[in-house]
Amino acid sequence: MGDSALRADHLTKRYGRLTALDDLTLEVTAGEVFGFLGPNGAGKSTTIRLLLGLARPTAGRAWVFGIDAADVARAHRLLAHVPADVALWPHLTGAEILHLQARTGSGVDLAYRDELVQRFELDPSKPAGTYSTGNRQKVALIAAFATRAPLLVLDEPTSGLDPLMEREFRTAVATARARGQAVFLSSHQLAEVEAVCDRVAILRAGRLVQVASLPELRDLHRSEVTLTYTGSPPALAEVSGVGAVESAGEGHVRFTLTGSPAPVLQALAAADITALVVREPSLEEIFLDYYGAADVR
Amino acid sequence: MSTGSAALAPAAPGRAVTGSAIRQVRRGGLIVVLLTAGLPALVAATYAGVMADPAAAGGLRALAGNPAIRTLFGEPIGLDNAGGFTVWRVGTALAVLLGVWSILATTRITRGAEDARRWDLLLAGQLTLRGTVARHLAAVMLVPVVAGGAVTAVLLLAGTRTAGALTYGAGIGVLGLFFVAVGGLTAQVFPARASATGTAVAVLAAGLLTRMIGDGLADLAWLRWTSPFGLLALSAPYHRNWILPVLVLLAATIVVAGAALVLAGRRDLRGGLFAERSGRRPRLRLLSGVEAFAVRRMVRPLTGWALGIGAYYLLIGLTAVSITEFLTGNPRLADEAARAGFSLGAVEGFTATLFAILALPVGGFTAMRLGAFVAAETDGRLTLLSAQPISRPRLLGAELLATTAGAVLLVSVAGLTTWLGVAISGGDLALLAALRGAWNVLPVVLLTLAAAALAVGWAPRTTGVAGSLPATGGFLLLVLADSVGAPGWVRGLSPFAHLAPVPLTGVNWPATAVTTGLAIGSTVLALLGYGRRDIRV
Repeated sequence: MGDSALRADHLTKRYGRLTALDDLTLEVTAGEVFGFLGPNGAGKSTTIRLLLGLARPTAGRAWVFGIDAADVARAHRLLAHVPADVALWPHLTGAEILHLQARTGSGVDLAYRDELVQRFELDPSKPAGTYSTGNRQKVALIAAFATRAPLLVLDEPTSGLDPLMEREFRTAVATARARGQAVFLSSHQLAEVEAVCDRVAILRAGRLVQVASLPELRDLHRSEVTLTYTGSPPALAEVSGVGAVESAGEGHVRFTLTGSPAPVLQALAAADITALVVREPSLEEIFLDYYGAADVR
Repeated sequence: MSTGSAALAPAAPGRAVTGSAIRQVRRGGLIVVLLTAGLPALVAATYAGVMADPAAAGGLRALAGNPAIRTLFGEPIGLDNAGGFTVWRVGTALAVLLGVWSILATTRITRGAEDARRWDLLLAGQLTLRGTVARHLAAVMLVPVVAGGAVTAVLLLAGTRTAGALTYGAGIGVLGLFFVAVGGLTAQVFPARASATGTAVAVLAAGLLTRMIGDGLADLAWLRWTSPFGLLALSAPYHRNWILPVLVLLAATIVVAGAALVLAGRRDLRGGLFAERSGRRPRLRLLSGVEAFAVRRMVRPLTGWALGIGAYYLLIGLTAVSITEFLTGNPRLADEAARAGFSLGAVEGFTATLFAILALPVGGFTAMRLGAFVAAETDGRLTLLSAQPISRPRLLGAELLATTAGAVLLVSVAGLTTWLGVAISGGDLALLAALRGAWNVLPVVLLTLAAAALAVGWAPRTTGVAGSLPATGGFLLLVLADSVGAPGWVRGLSPFAHLAPVPLTGVNWPATAVTTGLAIGSTVLALLGYGRRDIRV
């Protein structure tokens, strides 16, 4: 583990009686791509507003490379941000907005910025008032990726992009990581997180429910196992890690497996197994596992 | 709808839109109605006091002959009765107030809502753009109708003549309707709220100037038929009670509103008659930092305000000599004018009186700039800048600095054009004296800016109201206090009560220091508050 790029310590935000974010503690390491997953209204944007010092926490604190997040003049030297809903000055053209962001920021790689304008196929000569949602998002993304800031805080940055542009986005994240920049990527798009992130945090109803690397996340979750056997069905009811045993027709049994497969393999040694199929859960199923069932609130 | 499901929304989306439009204008509309009806009530009530002295009554009548007085305050006709006096004293001011509010409210809830993409969802339903525009215009139009009715009712209750009360109420009501229609039309023509509002306000200012010229120069009296304010004057409430000009204005209103609806039916959502140019070379001037950017955003509105204020004070300068000469020849009139609230003895005295009201438009400019700043925060335009390494106090401070510079410029323009007007008409007023008179109101303007800033820092929703308290509120307080003979401390709450008539006399330095100190203290509090509160999105 290197330096921490972003650290939240018991971060809490209440709006009157509504608790938008409850006791969030997490750390993003310098150079890693960190996914921040959650459904709409889980508190992702609230968290980002607190990390950027745009809102004050009710309790707890946050640091950007060790600098108090409330000290925005210093903390923001080290980060670039793309908001969830990008609003631009309608009379300024894309080029003028990029220029303004570059001049008010802490350093931009102009050659790379021009390359990004090409890659994202943005026409920077148009006034921002004529841009679609996706084009507004591109302006903010180009401005952020072109900085040399060691941390990029992106709030659902691809919600308005088409699949081709999404691919460019993933390339840009990979380039950022190669340059040593950390990326904090809030999203509800699993495929995106799965494609680019090293670690993932899952937020639900304002509470952090899990932080794990992608392989760890899968390990924590149930694989679905289907057995084909001859003779009497294997005895699985008491085996640790096994759940939801059900018959899948004559000579077939299906069950879920959590954690290490060793106990079940031992139990199966006695049975006459003719086929075994293990299906890994998709991130989507993991996601639904966490907050698809009952709503906490 | 064949399913009889009770969960379905009622199939009256049009009514829901009208209801929402009314909700957006009802608070401001109520204030405007209270002012347009309340001020005439107060003035009509003071008429008996002013006219108790026959000399005073005669003096006021004699003013009617002076072209400069006619230019500035309208033709003083029907002064022999409470209604006519009331219309002369406050008629123009209230017509301007109602006209400006009508424009601002109309462009805010039509083009403003469209700019903010609030109409995208609305128009995805069964409603047409034309129908939606029509319903929003109708909602705003309710306010002038109610205001006209309320003025008539109040003037009748005050015991003024029925025909005059009806003519004036109808005139001012239709004038409000006309400017709703103008705002509605410019909101269809221009694809941005600022240009729509600016153009409609320019129409209003041109109408006012046309009326002034028509009133002042007998040869050009016909010009009044081309101006909504001129038509209001031609209707001559409590004198001729001529309804034809009001009908002409009503016909113009119908034509303009009709044009707005025709255009609304032909254009695209978020488009205008003039499409924005599809691309242009970047203009990188004034984009080097937040301070420069604050100036860049201000340049266009500042130009509009400078033109309007410059034109008005040029006219003041041009007429100053004529008025003061007239008054010197009639010392008794000067006396009466003083009693009516104008110390018009010399060019210096006359201009000093009119420099005091300079705080109203310039204070309005500062409140509007900070209102725009809050709007940028609320709709998220400020978020990208807020995420830059710029402290929050610096972000607001840049806006305050730019706005202060803009206010100083506007005030200086007023001083300069007044001097120019006096010089052209062969009068005698030193340039520095004119500038000193204009600069004298700067503390009141700064107080207005500071009050708006305080609201930005602590209660952003109230920025508009807070920003209009020191200047507009203070001025109304002074007028009210003088009209009803309120105790001295009530009058003393108004910053205008402490303004010395510069350049007639020297600056009231203690009052200037106190006002400026209050402004600085409030600004510091404002910056503290803005640094600590959450950014609203």
